[in-house]
Parts: sequence; C-alpha cells; structure tokens
Amino acid sequence: MSDTIEEGGLGEADIEAAYGSGDGDLDTSATVASTPKGQIFEQIYRPWNGPLGPRWVRNYAIYRHHVYGIISGSGHRRYHPFVRLALLVVILGSMTPILMLLLSSMVSGDATGFLNRMWGVNRYNLWGNVLGYFPRNLCMWPLLTALVVGGLVSDDRKNGTSALYFSRPISRLDYASMKWLSAASVLATVIILTYMMYYSAAIVFKGEGWSFIADTIPIFIGGLVAGIFLVFTYTSIGIALSSISTSRFTASVSFLGLILGSKIVAWLVEIQFETTYIYLLSPYDCLAHLGQWLVGLPSNYDHPLIMSVVSLLAMNAASLSIFASRVSSLEVTRE
Amino acid sequence: MNSTPAIALDHVSKWYGQVIGVNDVSLAIDGGVTGILGMNGAGKSTLFKLLMGRLRPSNGSVKLFGTDPWETTSPYRRVGYVSESEKMYDWMTSLDFVSTLARLHGMTRYEAEKRAEQALSFVDLEGVLNKEIGKYSKGMRQRVKIAAALVHDPDLLILDEPLHGCDPLARTSIMNVIREMGSKGKTVLVSSHILEEIERITEQIVILHSGKLVALGNLHAIRAMLDKHPHRILIRCADSRALASTFIDQQPVYGVRFIDSESLEIMTKDLSEAHQLLPTLILKSGIQIYSIENPDDNLESLLAYLVGDA
Repeated sequence: MSDTIEEGGLGEADIEAAYGSGDGDLDTSATVASTPKGQIFEQIYRPWNGPLGPRWVRNYAIYRHHVYGIISGSGHRRYHPFVRLALLVVILGSMTPILMLLLSSMVSGDATGFLNRMWGVNRYNLWGNVLGYFPRNLCMWPLLTALVVGGLVSDDRKNGTSALYFSRPISRLDYASMKWLSAASVLATVIILTYMMYYSAAIVFKGEGWSFIADTIPIFIGGLVAGIFLVFTYTSIGIALSSISTSRFTASVSFLGLILGSKIVAWLVEIQFETTYIYLLSPYDCLAHLGQWLVGLPSNYDHPLIMSVVSLLAMNAASLSIFASRVSSLEVTRE
Repeated sequence: MNSTPAIALDHVSKWYGQVIGVNDVSLAIDGGVTGILGMNGAGKSTLFKLLMGRLRPSNGSVKLFGTDPWETTSPYRRVGYVSESEKMYDWMTSLDFVSTLARLHGMTRYEAEKRAEQALSFVDLEGVLNKEIGKYSKGMRQRVKIAAALVHDPDLLILDEPLHGCDPLARTSIMNVIREMGSKGKTVLVSSHILEEIERITEQIVILHSGKLVALGNLHAIRAMLDKHPHRILIRCADSRALASTFIDQQPVYGVRFIDSESLEIMTKDLSEAHQLLPTLILKSGIQIYSIENPDDNLESLLAYLVGDA
C-alpha cells in the first residue's frame, strides 16, 4: 500500500496541525519515573529482662501523664494553649489578695485601714477566698473545673485511647482513681494552695506573731476543710459528666450549666417564694452553707445545715457511682 | 514445666442482646504464631475483646496464663495487644507514645525510653521516632502500635488485623516481625480476613464463622480431614487424555476431569498416597509434564469448604 498523499488530500502537515505538534508524537519510546527501591529491614529482637515496677509506679505514670501535660506539652496529655492560658489567668486571679496584702503591708498605717479590711485575714475573707460567689465561684472555679475535668474521660472516649490503659496491667480502680486524683490535684493546687499562700502571706507581710496565728488558725482550718469539700465535689461532678460524654465541650458546658444554672434557678425561686430549700439542689450553695458553718459565719440559708450536708453527700455519691459504673462496665472504652 | 496455656477458652459464648458474637468456643493456644481467620462479623474482634478483658463472657471462661482477664489485670504484664482501632495520641512522637505506654508497665522514665527506642528500632522506625504520630503513614502507625505492644517484652502478642490498610512493603515488614516473634517462642495470635496474609505467616490456624469455631490446627491437617471434598491435583502435560488413562484404575484416584488437551484434574481422597504414586505413573507413561499443583490445598478453598459445611 502506498504512503503517497494525493494532491488536495490530507498530508502529514495537515494531520499534525490537527492532532499534534509533530515533535515526538510518533515516537514509540516512553520514560517511566524512577521510584526508590523497597527495603526490607532485618529484625533483631532484643528481649527486655528488667523488672516491671509495682502498682504505684504504674499509677503514678497515669497521674503524671495527666498533670504534667499542663506544664509540658510533649509526652503528656495535651491541653490546648487556651486552656493553659485560662488556667494561668485563674491562678493569677486567685492570688490577687496576696498582692493586695503586700500592698497593704507597704502602706504605712493601714493596719486597720481600707486595704486591710478588704483583703486582710478575717472570717469573711477566709471564707471568700474559697467559697465567695463573685468572682471565684461564678467565674473562676467552675471554669477551672470545666477546663481541666471536662475532657479527662471524654477525650479518651472520643479518641478511643482509654482502651490503651486497659490493655496494660491497669485495673479499673487504678484508672478511675488516678483520673480523679489528677484532676483533684490540679484543682487543689489552684484553690487550696493559693488559699494557704494567702494565709501565709498575711503572716509574713504583716509580721504577725503567734497570737495572730492562735486566733486565726481555727478559722483558716475551717476554710481549708471547706476548700477540700469544694475540690472533692467539683471533681466528682465534673468527672461523672465527662465519663458519660464523648465530647469535652458537652461535659464542660454541662458542668457549668449544673453549677451556675442550679444557683440561678434557686436564687430566682428564693426571691419569688422566699424559701431557700431549693438551694439544696445547688452544689455551690450546699458547699457555701457548710463553709459558713466551718468558719463560723452566720448562715444565709433558712434550711438546716444537715440538709445541705446530706444533699452534698448525695451529690458526691451519685457522681462517683456514675463514674464508677461507667469505668467498671468499661463503657469508657466505647468510642 | 508450666502446663498452663497462654490462652484457654472453655465453652465461651458472648451475646449482644439477641446477637451472638461468639458461640461456644473452646480452644487452647500456646507458643508460635496462630492465625485467626474469619469473614467480617465472624467474631474475631469479639474474641479478642474477651481475651483482653474488654468484654465479659456471657457463658464459659476465658483464661490468659491461667487467669481470668476480666477479674484481674495481672496477665497483661505478659500480653502485648494491637487493637483494630486506629486511635492513638496523634500529637505525641512515637518515642513519647511508646515510652508512655511502657511506663504503664511500671518502667522508670529512663528504662521506658530506652526500651521504646529498641522496640521502635525493631519495627524499623528508628529514623522517625521524634516525629509526631499524626504525620505518620498508615503502615508506620501500625508499626508504632506493634512497637507499643512489644515494649514490655510480652510472652503473648495479640494482633487484631495488623496488616489492615498497609502497603505491600509495610505488610512484609510487619509479617517479618510476626514471624520473628513466633520464632522467639512467643505466642502470637494474629487475626485477618485476608487468607493469603495468614498463609504467609503461619500454617497454624483457627477458623471462626458466625461466632462458631469451625476449625483449629494445621492448615494441611485440617484440609486432609475434609473427606467430603476430594483433593484436586492439577497436572499440565503434553497429552492429558493419555496421562488420564494411566491414573484412572489407581486406588487413590476418585475421579478425573479434563480441562483442556494439556490439563487434567485428578480428584483423590488421599493426597499423600496420590503424590507417592504420581512419579511412578508419570515415568511409566512417558508423557512430558509441565507442572503439578494442588489448587485447593490453601486457605481459601479450606475456608470455602468449612463455611459451606458450617
């Protein structure tokens, strides 16, 4: 068959103009991109003959993982920079009275003056440092708890990482107790440590003697016990909410809603019906009622103290039993 | 000598409401690599969750090294587990992740880091151990999980679908790790629904179907027990009809099927006797042979036969 193109027909130039540039279209060779060759490595297994540590060492590893994450980002539980910043603000905010005490000690003649009355050690201030509603129990402690405890279990559920614990020699009791303890220690560091620092600062800055300590130590201890109750209760409620949620946000908002919402509802009921019994449903008010008794302040509530104590115990028992049942049934490993 | 097997299940059943996860499974496994095979929904993951104490059996007993894993965590000191779940602490480096888990076994920080480095090196991740896990490929993540399971030098390694989603190179690497662990005398339990993967790792298998144990033991031994299904021997030769005439009157031969002029399939109930007979008959016939294969002496046909029978 002839390759000759008839005159007037489609020649090579026409075809190339229509379908391609002609520079290499008809070549039959191709280049394949070179890829690195695979490599199969040689395994050399080195058995580990060291001893495995006791239970407390394993538990400390869980505790450390959660607590150190606030300070160090690598190798521990991750806390968002905003959470860390918020914690810093709360800590600094809770230390404001220490600064004011320092200022008071530097202003001559303020022993009975304005600064000392506002921030010096007395029953109201010791109670207020732990259980005052504004700003501490309105803005600081619930926010602190929501940020720290909210994601403690729910993050593990969301990420499916709680199963990592239970494939190790970690019992359900160890897991639950270390989670609770790590959250409680962060709260205690902020709430109780700053309270102790405040009392110590009052002694140091003012140069107070033994008589001052003897006079105020029972009130201080009363406030300290109230602070421990607060940390215990907030941690228990927060962790229970976290264990039934797969979202840090839901758990945190639920906690804030419970603490602040119950208070607001009780307050509205009080002004409408002139009864304080509804405050029994508010964790904060039960704590405040108990705290007032512990530091020797007159009560703001009409109902008996024992009712607040029973309510507080019931709230803690309910929270801990929810958390315990979620862990013991390993519901916390469900994603 | 310790006679307690690493894994012992005694009439174990697990129901999720009306759904049966595992149905009356009894088995004991100790030493070497054992493959757990089954289709999706066969009960492999339920079985592993029972072994890892994540689920409580509805009936029967589960023992790891003679201890109930639901009641106590002590067996987990000797167990390494790779779960099916993809979830890890993605913000951590693999070194941090593996050493954090090592510390849950009670190692000190120094021990944990040293041991984590060794384990990561064993799975060929020593070059990237300070890189965040979130930036790893699928195969690398699987290897991190294996390193985390190996970090405390367990006697029993339980791997739930360890090759799932890995590229061929990562698969080969992980298979090497599994074989190496088996050769070290560890008990390795590995699940997969991909037959050829298990076939490349081990011949010791457990087959589950609809929650029931349908076979347990050596692949070839199980195949030999399936008398209902004759073994097939595929012979490619120069003249299939001429060769067939030499086989047809032999005792082990059950039937002959012609595929084409150069291929025939011999059916026998006794594979080993047939293979002993073949060379003599072939020599006697003088027909040129191109290849001899046993097409159904593999997991796929075994599973098809067993599941069909189940």
